[in-house]
Amino acid sequence: MKSYKRIILTAFVILAFALVPFIVDAEKSYLVYSLFLFFCYIIISQAWNLVAGYTGQISLGQHAFFGLGAYTTALIWLHDITKTGYYFDPITMLLSGLVPAILAVIIGIPLLSRLRGDYFALGTLGMGEIIKVVFVKGGSITGASDGLHLPSAIYSSIKPYYWTGLFLAIFATMVVYFMIRSHTGLALRAIREDETSAAAHGIHVLKYKVLAFSVGAFLAGLCGSLYGIYLFHINPDSVLKLDWTLYPILMCVIGGTGTIIGPLLGAFFISTVFSLADIYFVQMHPVMAGFLIILVMKFMPNGLIGLIQRKEIFK
Amino acid sequence: MLEILNLNVIIQLLINGILFGTMYGIAAIGLSLIFGTMRIIFLAQGSMIILFAYVCYWLFELLGLDPYISLILIVLISLWLGAGIYRALFKGAVAQEDKNISLLIAIGLMFLLENLMTVFWTANPRSISTSYTSYVFRPMGIGIPFNRLMGFIMAVLSTTGVVLFLKKTFIGIAVRAAAEDMEAATLLGINPHRVNGTAFAIGTGLAGIAGVELATIYPFDPFFGFIFVLKAMIALAIGGIGSVFGALLGGIILGLLESLASFFIGGGWSDAVSYAVFLLILMLRPEGLLVRSVKKA
Repeated sequence: MKSYKRIILTAFVILAFALVPFIVDAEKSYLVYSLFLFFCYIIISQAWNLVAGYTGQISLGQHAFFGLGAYTTALIWLHDITKTGYYFDPITMLLSGLVPAILAVIIGIPLLSRLRGDYFALGTLGMGEIIKVVFVKGGSITGASDGLHLPSAIYSSIKPYYWTGLFLAIFATMVVYFMIRSHTGLALRAIREDETSAAAHGIHVLKYKVLAFSVGAFLAGLCGSLYGIYLFHINPDSVLKLDWTLYPILMCVIGGTGTIIGPLLGAFFISTVFSLADIYFVQMHPVMAGFLIILVMKFMPNGLIGLIQRKEIFK
Repeated sequence: MLEILNLNVIIQLLINGILFGTMYGIAAIGLSLIFGTMRIIFLAQGSMIILFAYVCYWLFELLGLDPYISLILIVLISLWLGAGIYRALFKGAVAQEDKNISLLIAIGLMFLLENLMTVFWTANPRSISTSYTSYVFRPMGIGIPFNRLMGFIMAVLSTTGVVLFLKKTFIGIAVRAAAEDMEAATLLGINPHRVNGTAFAIGTGLAGIAGVELATIYPFDPFFGFIFVLKAMIALAIGGIGSVFGALLGGIILGLLESLASFFIGGGWSDAVSYAVFLLILMLRPEGLLVRSVKKA
């Protein structure tokens, strides 16, 4: 496909998504809500995709960054720190992304320089659990296990969530896309393929790994902020649960890790399955999620994108 | 503070820590065996433990079977189930270069088990209470709960059993050889699937024992499994991979650490302490967990 055709197609798809709330009744329709979730999933999936798919560092601590983003938003809002509007305030959201990103740099330097492969995955898992304990035990600052309540009276419509979600999903995809196309992306992929060889070619391995890790944390934090504003009630069980690490993995893997389209396909597939499962058999959808991961890994380890690529080869 | 710090309390803390730690220990041995041959952290181990705890619970509630009698049944089921899971899920994936596929299948299995258990048994904590649950030995004024002592004995016996199996039987020696170097072992005619399957079966067998131990000691819910496997991993990091007694010892040290931390710092913080220890060990003493991968690299 030629590049201008691709741009037109992308613009058309985005426009179609942007117009959905005008076509269906946004406040009553389940479609708008499930698309909002779909956008959230895209953001965190792209974040994980950058760290694990392109850089090869499997992070199991994304839920910590997600939760930290949500908590940052709530704390700024409740303590009236930035004196801005808070409800969809860009400054608050930006800060909610920056706090996890800074944390990612601080813990990323020791973790990424010391640990490789599985051990990095386990290290991030441990880190995520420590952060969770800190929030659960945070006393009056974090509201302990009950969490923080935002003034929910401000809620009037789901439409702003929908468009912000869409915008952030495009933003996250763009960030990953342009990073990968640049010199940085080349370095990241070199690290994924062979760290020793990358270092031998003059790539500062730690610097690039930390960069990818913190950009991933930034995106996860943004998503956490948006989801936090949607929930209005931020507690460890809702924003710091492991699902926020497992879902992006699931989506990337189903779609195809290390590709731009993969996480989009995966997120679409999974959110469709979840929504249908939510409507038709409540309570069963996490079971199906586990079952799906196993099936996908068993029968198509390269994901949906692998199926498409294989077809193209056979043509 | 000083009057709390009398000897009796300290001894009580130590005993509780050791007895609870053995449970982490046997879970860690299972993880270690599976990691040894397949090179993946079997994250679903914790959920398997909870599953067998529920099986034990059901056998007790529905059939009135004593937990220590159903242990025999559960170990048989779990050995068989472990071999079955390996055949059904992991056999194809281990042949592939990318270890993440096996890891992700394990994550999928964990997710599936956790949520299936929630559907079957709800998320409410369950526990088994037999006539002797609250029975406590008091040698020299120190209270030793009967069920925890039984757990300790079970752990020591099963660890010894595993060690003997690995040292004395042919397939056990093959498992150890494969853990040293899978390629060389395969060249010598050892069937990798048989070795992996055996390691897996024993790993889940130990999960069965840990499950019964857990069911008799502690209230459990479906989501406890994930915490449990994390703890087992910490135990493994402390004890060092590859040594069966090391894993048990690691579990006991972790148990001690937790029981002391929760007494001196406060309940929920003990988790943070153990994860912090885990991170520190991963970073500063890689000989614990990292010894093999350093050699391989």
